[in-house]
Amino acid sequence: MAERMQSCNLSEHNFEQCTKCSICTTVCPVAAVTTDYPGPKQAGPDGERYRLKDPAYYDKALKLCLNCKRCEVACPSGVHIADIIQHARMRATLGKKASLRDTMLANTDLLGTMANLVAPVANATLGLSPTKLVMDSVMAIDKHRTFPAYSRQKFTTWYKRHAAKEQDAYRNHVSYFHGCYVNYNFPKLGQDLVKIMNAVGYGVHLLDKEQCCGVALIANGLYKQAKRQAHTNIDNIRKAVNTDHRTVIATSSSCTFNMRDEYPSMLGIDNADVRDNINLATRFIYNLVDEEKIKLVFKQDYKRRIAYHTACHMQRMGWQLFSIELLRMIPGLDLQVLEQECCGISGTYGFKKENYERSQAIGAALFKSIEEAQVEAVATDCETCKWQIEMSTSLPVENPISVLADALDVEATRQANGIK
Amino acid sequence: MRMDTVIIGGGLSGLSCGIALAKRGKRVTIVASGQSTMLFNGGSMELLGHIDGKAVTNPLEAIATLPQSHPYSKIGADRIAELTERAKLMLTDSGINMVGNAAANHWRITPMGVAKPAWLTLSDHLRIDDLNSLPAKRLALMCIRGYFDQPNAMLAQGLRELGFEVDTIEFTTDDITALRRSPSEMRATSLSKHLMSNNALRRVADQINTLATDADMVLLPSVLGQNDDSDIQTLQSMTNKPLRLVATLPPAVAGMRMMKQLRHYFKMLGGNYLMGDSAVSGTFEGDRLVSISTAKLADMPLKADNFVLASGSFISRGLIADYERVYEPVLGVDVDADSNPDAWTSFGVLQPQAYSRYGVATDDQLHCLKQGKPVSNLYAIGSILSGHDAVKMGDGTGVSLMTALAVNDLIIKK
Repeated sequence: MAERMQSCNLSEHNFEQCTKCSICTTVCPVAAVTTDYPGPKQAGPDGERYRLKDPAYYDKALKLCLNCKRCEVACPSGVHIADIIQHARMRATLGKKASLRDTMLANTDLLGTMANLVAPVANATLGLSPTKLVMDSVMAIDKHRTFPAYSRQKFTTWYKRHAAKEQDAYRNHVSYFHGCYVNYNFPKLGQDLVKIMNAVGYGVHLLDKEQCCGVALIANGLYKQAKRQAHTNIDNIRKAVNTDHRTVIATSSSCTFNMRDEYPSMLGIDNADVRDNINLATRFIYNLVDEEKIKLVFKQDYKRRIAYHTACHMQRMGWQLFSIELLRMIPGLDLQVLEQECCGISGTYGFKKENYERSQAIGAALFKSIEEAQVEAVATDCETCKWQIEMSTSLPVENPISVLADALDVEATRQANGIK
Repeated sequence: MRMDTVIIGGGLSGLSCGIALAKRGKRVTIVASGQSTMLFNGGSMELLGHIDGKAVTNPLEAIATLPQSHPYSKIGADRIAELTERAKLMLTDSGINMVGNAAANHWRITPMGVAKPAWLTLSDHLRIDDLNSLPAKRLALMCIRGYFDQPNAMLAQGLRELGFEVDTIEFTTDDITALRRSPSEMRATSLSKHLMSNNALRRVADQINTLATDADMVLLPSVLGQNDDSDIQTLQSMTNKPLRLVATLPPAVAGMRMMKQLRHYFKMLGGNYLMGDSAVSGTFEGDRLVSISTAKLADMPLKADNFVLASGSFISRGLIADYERVYEPVLGVDVDADSNPDAWTSFGVLQPQAYSRYGVATDDQLHCLKQGKPVSNLYAIGSILSGHDAVKMGDGTGVSLMTALAVNDLIIKK
């Protein structure tokens, strides 16, 4: 009996499966650029053995972890190394108050709501060097960072004015989790998605209520607020799935990953009943084409050469294949898939003054490979990778959905799918 | 999702087969559950190192004497010479520069200072073609202060026994000292990341040029060049003596470099590499495998005309042993293994172990068997195959490369 017990893994996060092979240390982007961080093996399973004995063994350097999950992807034994580290951080910071800076950075939707109201002023002010200097010294937000520009009109406002009323007329329907970035910074991506989905006969609807998915809240230790927002989102997703019978799709890989995988593992929220219905737009569309439920027709004179960057969380989800294969359907597109490297921004991490240099050093290899790829643009499914790459290279970055929308012959596609 | 070929396993065999197929224009997806055992490779490929404990001098000749159960015999001993040439070409195309001859083994040096027969060795690593004619008389063995994955005393002793004069020279630079703050990260792969800039390499070269004055060859632990060999070439250009690298304990930079180069080449050819996903099951129809499911693609199975099982041996979980049996966990194909667990091992960890010859059963065309019958579109390659012994015969990397290319040919010919 005792022998048989050993074949079961009793620990959380597959902790006991660690064979101390050190392979995780070879892919950690943080340990590669600083000696302040002890690396995933020491911070994760090795440190956990000590912390289990006495929580006082907690090492503050764990806050340097990006939570990029590359260690988990590399682990041949299936140990959830990053989850071990994040849970140790959570235990150590529980009940402590986050700083004003961290709270501000983490509340992407609050910041967005305020900034949208005064977008021209906010964009101008956030771009001014005196403002940047004040943020740098008072708020510890690095002065080299450019805040993504805020849009004058929110995506949801555009949607209600220009798109909402025609959506019911379509045969099929999806709900769209737009996320903060589409809503406050870049409504065009949401508009691109509506354009594609409508052309293939799908009406696009919003959730009754959507809050920021909370990925930044978790990263900044604001667990209570993250949990509250996660409950709101899952409740509304549940209604869309169960009552309206709609799959929920998102254009952000980080929102998708967070709602599917971090809600249960980091926040203890059971999403098992709806998890399969939280999907990434590229995967959803690829699947429809693959099952011959829809047809995509592309512009005949379209020609572009772009590179695809696999965001770390996208790789953790394992879905880059769908974005890549969807892009490969475009006849005029020459796609170069880049070696997977971390860009270094990891959401709000790179915005913090104490992380700026590290963040840029982490991304250096990726930036170099992008500059050398001789492409016109980079495609990636993550908006924070986009900011980082656009700031650090000479190239524009687009979501694969926007690339697809640009290459699509909308009229021909509508006809091919029998849409008037 | 439909592919021409789906390969389960992203190590040396899976990638080699994937590259060969992608080169012929096939749509290939590799499912790789984490990094592979290539991270334990110190920079050499072996074709056949030992038979019954005796070192092999001419692998091509020795292969002809192997039993029919050995993967080389299934491919056909007469085909190996041609396949070795193609494997070498594929490595070169990937940017991996190796030296060696399939008809005459040379010697590689293990981290413990033991000379072992090898077929190919990275051109910048120490290689001895003839033990009676060493490439240098006096070696400066550069030992990095605070770096423990190179057992210097044993290595020096081993080199002396081979006939070298050896000076062990301890050194450090500011970059290396800074890295010692995190002793758990003082590893070859971390060193290689911190020794990438010209300035960092210049500081290493200064140490070598100052300290290694008496030697006619400088040996440095293999802690440089995890992306390609440019850092080593840069250091060589700054150093006034011939420079060679010598393998360290894992994780090994040389293996990491080769892995990255193969993966990069595979992606350049349009292959999909799903890192961190794992195949969980397959759907069979008649004598064919129709699709496999993976943990992350979930409800979207990967369909293909052909499948290749390249998931490795026990260490990579291509094979599993519990308290009762040895089995292949993904597709449940037949395994060649003793049914009595007492027969799996023998006392003494360095003794030949029966389990290291266990693996999936195949017919003469490397088709996997399921309940004794061949699956017509499912092949096994690399370490998961039964009938060879990477530890005692020194045929692991060779079997990976040869079977990968042989299965490529079978698939292309169909």
